[in-house]
Amino acid sequence: MRPPRHPPYLLMLTTESSLEPTPSETAGLGLSTGARGLALLGGVAVVVLILIAVKGYQPAAQATANGLVAGTYFALGAVGLALVFGVLRLVNFAHGDFLTFGAYAALLANAFFRLPIIVATAIAIVATALLGAILELAIWRPMRARRAGGLQLLLIAIGLAYVIRNGIQIAAGAEPRSLHVDVTSAVSFMGGIRLGTTELTVVLIGLVVLVLVAIMLSVSRLGKEMRALADNVSLAEVAGVDTGRVIISTWLVAGGLAGLAGVLVAAAVGVLTPQFGFQLLLSLFAATVLGGIGNAYGALAGGLLLGLTQEWSTLFIDPRWKLAVGFAILILTLLIRPNGLLGRPALK
Amino acid sequence: MADDRAAKHELAPADPIFAVRDLVKGFGGLRAVDGATFEVSRGSITALIGPNGAGKTTLFNLATGFIKPDRGAIEFEGQSVFGRPPHAVARRGMGRTFQITKALAAMTVLDNMMLAAPDQPAERLLGLLTHPLSWRRQERSIRERSMELLERFRLASLANSYAGTLSGGQRKLLEFARLLMAKPRMVLLDEPLAGVNPVLGQQILAHVHELRSEEGITFLFIEHDMEVVMNNADRVIVMAFGRVIASGLPSEVRRDQRVIDAYLGAHAEDVA
Amino acid sequence: MIPHLISIAPFAHADFWLGVGIVAGIYSIFTLGLQLNVGFTGIVNLGQAGFMAIGAYAMAILILTYGWSPWLALPAATLIAMLAGVIVAMPAVRLRGDYLAIATIAAAEIVQSVAQNAISLTGGNNGLLGFDAAWQTIQVWLLGALSSIGLGDMDQIPLFAVTWITFAVLLAILVTLQRTPWGRVLRAIREDEDAAEALGKNTYAYKVQSLALAAGIGAIAGYLLALNITLIYPGTYSADFTFIGFAILVLGGLGSYSGVALGSVLLWFVLEGARFVDLPLSADKVAALRLLIVGLVLILVMALRPQGILGKREEMVLRG
Repeated sequence: MRPPRHPPYLLMLTTESSLEPTPSETAGLGLSTGARGLALLGGVAVVVLILIAVKGYQPAAQATANGLVAGTYFALGAVGLALVFGVLRLVNFAHGDFLTFGAYAALLANAFFRLPIIVATAIAIVATALLGAILELAIWRPMRARRAGGLQLLLIAIGLAYVIRNGIQIAAGAEPRSLHVDVTSAVSFMGGIRLGTTELTVVLIGLVVLVLVAIMLSVSRLGKEMRALADNVSLAEVAGVDTGRVIISTWLVAGGLAGLAGVLVAAAVGVLTPQFGFQLLLSLFAATVLGGIGNAYGALAGGLLLGLTQEWSTLFIDPRWKLAVGFAILILTLLIRPNGLLGRPALK
Repeated sequence: MADDRAAKHELAPADPIFAVRDLVKGFGGLRAVDGATFEVSRGSITALIGPNGAGKTTLFNLATGFIKPDRGAIEFEGQSVFGRPPHAVARRGMGRTFQITKALAAMTVLDNMMLAAPDQPAERLLGLLTHPLSWRRQERSIRERSMELLERFRLASLANSYAGTLSGGQRKLLEFARLLMAKPRMVLLDEPLAGVNPVLGQQILAHVHELRSEEGITFLFIEHDMEVVMNNADRVIVMAFGRVIASGLPSEVRRDQRVIDAYLGAHAEDVA
Repeated sequence: MIPHLISIAPFAHADFWLGVGIVAGIYSIFTLGLQLNVGFTGIVNLGQAGFMAIGAYAMAILILTYGWSPWLALPAATLIAMLAGVIVAMPAVRLRGDYLAIATIAAAEIVQSVAQNAISLTGGNNGLLGFDAAWQTIQVWLLGALSSIGLGDMDQIPLFAVTWITFAVLLAILVTLQRTPWGRVLRAIREDEDAAEALGKNTYAYKVQSLALAAGIGAIAGYLLALNITLIYPGTYSADFTFIGFAILVLGGLGSYSGVALGSVLLWFVLEGARFVDLPLSADKVAALRLLIVGLVLILVMALRPQGILGKREEMVLRG
């Protein structure tokens, strides 16, 4: 058998040590996830009540609402990252720029072609999903066929990130842009919480999509196949899973989620530059690591938690340190519990 | 037969060079090793057998520090090695091979050997600074020793080839020769004959016996081929479901009903 | 590609290319550190720009705020950067590959954050000025010597020479180190950590050392960069710098220290040579185009010829 033609140490990166045990550690995921999910919900509720008591209803509730908005786009992005890592063992460093791509697709549809925001959102989702699928067919599949090592794939992902981001900048320019929506229109509810109408619309879409994805993963055949691949590729193949189809589907889902997340950021933050997705990438990593890399449910929870924590922190410290809260979470997780809440082992 | 050899060569019966007591290691919900207890006598050739999934390789990894045990005791030459990292265990005198041979493919055979020599101050930055000239002298003597060992294993002509160009069997020999550079007192062999042609397999076993006789090295090896075990092991330890279910002379063990029960189908027929 | 050179005098032209050579040299030094980490130890250090920043800022702060002589500040700042390398490495190096990469990114982001926000210490986004007084003096003296042979106008020569001499020295040190038993252990770790551990090598310690050394090398690149633009501010030490470094690394070839120089010179000559082509694009789009090209280089090399130009093929073909 001819040995593969690439630096041996390139294989090292994401190859699990041959000394790792084969018994699945995600066995029993359903029950423990549900239990932990409920525990987390309980914890969040407790924190909200404490914040209301300490800071007053309106500030605490507003921060929580803002946190849910941010948490939704973090979760949408992080779930995609987790799915791709779980099924492909690939850390998609270009994922942040998928968000940018989706946002700018929506910008094109909405601000340029003046299509309604819902349509623009749909376009963003489809376009980014296709981007993911095209990259899989054009790059990732051929590279896997050539037995490319982890380092190669990582650097290709980074290269793609730069190509996508700067391609968008060449096409659309670096100046800040906004969606063509009425930014003054806002909705007030639950005793004083204010959210922009567009923001609220897209958040609701986002939350619904997250729930649908969670259901899809646990109940549908595709979801089960994705989880089977995430556990053990060779075993899944032997069990008759069409890995090619599942992988394309994974990219479609991850891309679509990222596109939606990008639109949500556009709606929530208001102004965009081509750099925003890349700037969010570390936060997306934080959410994924917090939840347990490769675990989609964990990424969902991690994303929401990250958004909430960041916004809650603004009740106590200057808002410009918001991002630092994300780093702190990332670093603490890596230091204390690299597996995150629900993931596979990160230590050697 | 092996039983006679056992009587002759166990230098000090029940002089345990290696001991494991109530060792436990779990992964998620699964106990890979579930209270294993056994001893290996100094100078013996001991086989570790058991059906797939019995925990044998996990035990090797626990013994050599690659996996941290949950609880229990592991002792090498009377001192605990519980939780010690792999390099520390190796330095205490335990060498090992791996199920999938780890010849460093992008380095030459000679480099593989020289790497393995112990006590090289020049391997440390501080050592390089304090021994700026003498390390080259040491390199020469290490090279000589490497070539001697390679001669013994008939790999000397391949010294300057990249290890990746060697055949599977040659790589097994290299891995074996390499670990001997460190002058270990005990060697753990993880399926030393797997994927190797019978002639080479016999060569490897001959080396094992030679090294035991001449240098008193203790061997513990995982093996699936019962004939090999019967013909070569002084003692056999049988694992199943993470526990040691039997140990003793090969002839005793193969008649043990618990052992026969633990194996399914074909293996049971081989043993009986 | 026809250069529009009509209005540019020959000397200015040469000076321009010397400037490119300086940038290429700085990147070469920076990437030597990456080569040590990625090419020779197998750890992906995506935070190298952060160490570069620590070195540069430490140097400037010691000179400006504490009045140290540059001859003391430079070694001290290098040690500080190496210490930072150790601090980052100690937890990070225990993590599996992807996590290690992410951890190094996080470390660099923290450095950026501090550089931007700890205004009293670092000058924030305005940066630090005036730390290069000693260098200016030296430069004047050197230019005086040069003018005696008629090259007094080429004011880029001193920094160009210092940069490339520094590179040559570091290259010699690294190549020598690589041929020692220490280097041999590093190669073993790159290939198979478990095998190295089983042979009694403390792989953790080696990986920490590798990162610390790379941090020191990054700091040195940082000083030269600071001297080149005479200003130290956060934007220079960005993730983009590390990214370009990686493109250079793979272009020149993983596992080849001299390849680093080749990759750097090639890449920068292409990137800067493109200046002579008039493109109907605004400045920020041109900047984006350059980064896009670098991204393409990275992708194409990794996809089509992962060993780069000078990478060793024998060390690529084989896998145990």
